[in-house]
Amino acid sequence: MASQVKSRWADDEADAVLEAKRKREKELKRKAKVERQRKLEEESSQKNAAPIDVGIKGHEGLNGESGRPFKRRRFSPERHTATVEPAAANLLRFPALEWSPCRHVDNFEKLNHIEEGSYGWVSRAKETATGDIVALKKLKMENANDGFPVTGLREIQTLMASRHENIVTLREVVMGDQLDDVFLVMDFLEHDLKTLQEDMLDGFSPSEIKTLLLQLTSAVEYLHSNWILHRDLKTSNLLMNNRGQMKVADFGMARYYGDPPPKLTQLVVTLWYRAPELLLGAEKYGAEIDLWSVGCIFGELLIKQPLLQGKNEVDQLSKIFGLCGIPTEAAWPGFKRLPNARSLRLPNTTQTTGAVIRARFPLLTTAGTTLLTSLLSLNPAQRSTAKEVLTHSYFQEDPKPKSTVMFPTFPSKAGQEKRRKVASPSAPKRGDAPKIVGEAVDFSGIFANRDDEEVGGGFALKLI
Amino acid sequence: MFRKHVPLMPCRAVGAHERCSVDMIPPDIAPMTPELDQISSLSNLLATVEQLSLSSSQLDGVPTDLDSSLRFAGAQLTQAAGLLLRLPQEIIAQAIVILYRFYVGSEGGSFRINAVKDVSAASLYMTAKVSFLPQSTRSILNVYAYLLSPACPLRKPPQTSTKPDPESYYLSEGSYQAARATLLQTESILLRSISFITQVTLPHHLALYYLQTLGVLTPASTPKSTALAARTLAHLNTALLSPQLVYLTHQPPALAVASVYLAAKEVGIKLASVEWWEVFDVDREELGFLVVALRSCEAWIQAEKVRWRDGSCPLTLDELETEIKKKDGECL
Repeated sequence: MASQVKSRWADDEADAVLEAKRKREKELKRKAKVERQRKLEEESSQKNAAPIDVGIKGHEGLNGESGRPFKRRRFSPERHTATVEPAAANLLRFPALEWSPCRHVDNFEKLNHIEEGSYGWVSRAKETATGDIVALKKLKMENANDGFPVTGLREIQTLMASRHENIVTLREVVMGDQLDDVFLVMDFLEHDLKTLQEDMLDGFSPSEIKTLLLQLTSAVEYLHSNWILHRDLKTSNLLMNNRGQMKVADFGMARYYGDPPPKLTQLVVTLWYRAPELLLGAEKYGAEIDLWSVGCIFGELLIKQPLLQGKNEVDQLSKIFGLCGIPTEAAWPGFKRLPNARSLRLPNTTQTTGAVIRARFPLLTTAGTTLLTSLLSLNPAQRSTAKEVLTHSYFQEDPKPKSTVMFPTFPSKAGQEKRRKVASPSAPKRGDAPKIVGEAVDFSGIFANRDDEEVGGGFALKLI
Repeated sequence: MFRKHVPLMPCRAVGAHERCSVDMIPPDIAPMTPELDQISSLSNLLATVEQLSLSSSQLDGVPTDLDSSLRFAGAQLTQAAGLLLRLPQEIIAQAIVILYRFYVGSEGGSFRINAVKDVSAASLYMTAKVSFLPQSTRSILNVYAYLLSPACPLRKPPQTSTKPDPESYYLSEGSYQAARATLLQTESILLRSISFITQVTLPHHLALYYLQTLGVLTPASTPKSTALAARTLAHLNTALLSPQLVYLTHQPPALAVASVYLAAKEVGIKLASVEWWEVFDVDREELGFLVVALRSCEAWIQAEKVRWRDGSCPLTLDELETEIKKKDGECL
């Protein structure tokens, strides 16, 4: 500041430097003094301690062992003095976590019902002892013929292992009177992104979208770096509080995975957010499927409604190919050999292979389009990883991501009010994935009348 | 605003203990302290002093020595069942640790209420279920039916040489349904007792990684280095049977260091002459304690074998009641 503009009080700068120098010297002197004092004190305390030491030795002397060195062999020479403690403190100590049997659900007072998710009922509750408002999620025990549902176990296991500011916190697990009454106690958040967006007039602004996407991706990045797949990312599973903070919730489909990927069930992720390789029946998949969902959510935030609303698996695929183009053997090597791809009859003209993302999102900047295109890349190997998304240039360009504290607040719907229901498919039930079989499915129609389509940027007033 | 989270261990794959390469850690986050309530993939839950000093079984009148014996028998049974089911040692070890967690503490399970055979089966079933290798209730129960029959070497007096009768371990449909109900109920009880925390971190992969870090386990394996690795893992598996429940009292790095130390001594490989265990966050005191604990395992297991050599270790509730009555009779 001062260096840029020539000050009218030119000698003030020099004065300031001098003043700073004096101050430093003073500080140094003071420190030296304190140091001397400390040393003095240490010496005196050692002198005080010495007689006691001698006393002990003298006591030992009664047993005829006087003058013996320490019984235990010392390995490092510095360790003779009493100041051993700092050296030992370098070791990493894990917090000693404990466990005790589950508490009873009576410790919580149910306030109101929130919603019924795919794997349980959620209600708002108050912990009687502390007054904390929490969300209580009752696990569904439908597949009880195999004992405790494995999905519930995995949900608890993965949620417990995840501590991140953008992942909902599992506080504890409590039980009711029956052995199969199991409740997850989680932080209560006021909104979910889906209803919030439906109730907003204009949707989120570009800067808010960036913040939301960054929060989502940092949670996904955390999960993937801990080898957890979420497998059901969608806007209704993204919770928001009134401080602009988003948290990923509902780990009902989450599980640990490995490298090489183990054989996993294909019937995961809500249809509209399901990656093409899952729809085509890939036996092995990995973190890429979550990034596809992130891409769908990104698109949904931009256009204020779900991006790819397929009615069934085949329709979903055709919607995907309509947006991203028909995959070619060059763009996605080996996709033809996927189980469900064999029965697909795909038009084989070059004009249908390119993505129309650019045209579908005319208001998105070039960087934004590249990001969305890479997230919605048909070939899972070419899809961005969460780490890559976090450093994407889209987030560096203007408008910058909005600070969470600047987010608008909204009236809480999860409180007492009933919500408007908009039909959307729920997460698939466990079981075998339906095969796309039978007569060959004809996709040649989806690009008919392409020339009649409206293209171009359109017009909008609000950009930021 | 977006503090990028630095996970304690970036991957769950074998041996990713980043702490040793200090230069990889950015300076601003160098002193890594795990978050307080974080269940990490490097640490375990530990039993409290109260939990270790008083068990629910003791409150129910099971003598302390029998308590230890039953725990050992449970671990042995789980190990045997895991082997018969061809499960990897990782799952078996986790099941054993969960079995221990269940029976520890005054709020935990009691041998007189939940038979050790049931808890062992439930623990193995549940651990396999959340792993990559789930097992059906039928395979689990078939294996346990065999292991509890007189045909099984664990239960057979050594002198009898008669061919085992297959009838004795055949699981009829009726008894299967009954056993299945017990298994699933025990699973729920087990989960409630351990507060649904199914995460068990094992020291095995850490130990191998430590051996590599110490430069004694090189890609080009020599007979000696192979023996060292095998011995290290053997110690860790033996420690699962320790009556001192070291898996409930010490963190995986400490167990790994102790087994490496002991194995190197036994195989005759010289490790670094400095206090290398401090690199792995284990102090000398803890190492010493664990080495003694691991070395005492063998004698204890031998004693247990002799004590129950007629295969009479009470694995079921009825057997336990008889055993306790017999003991009471001896006292009078």
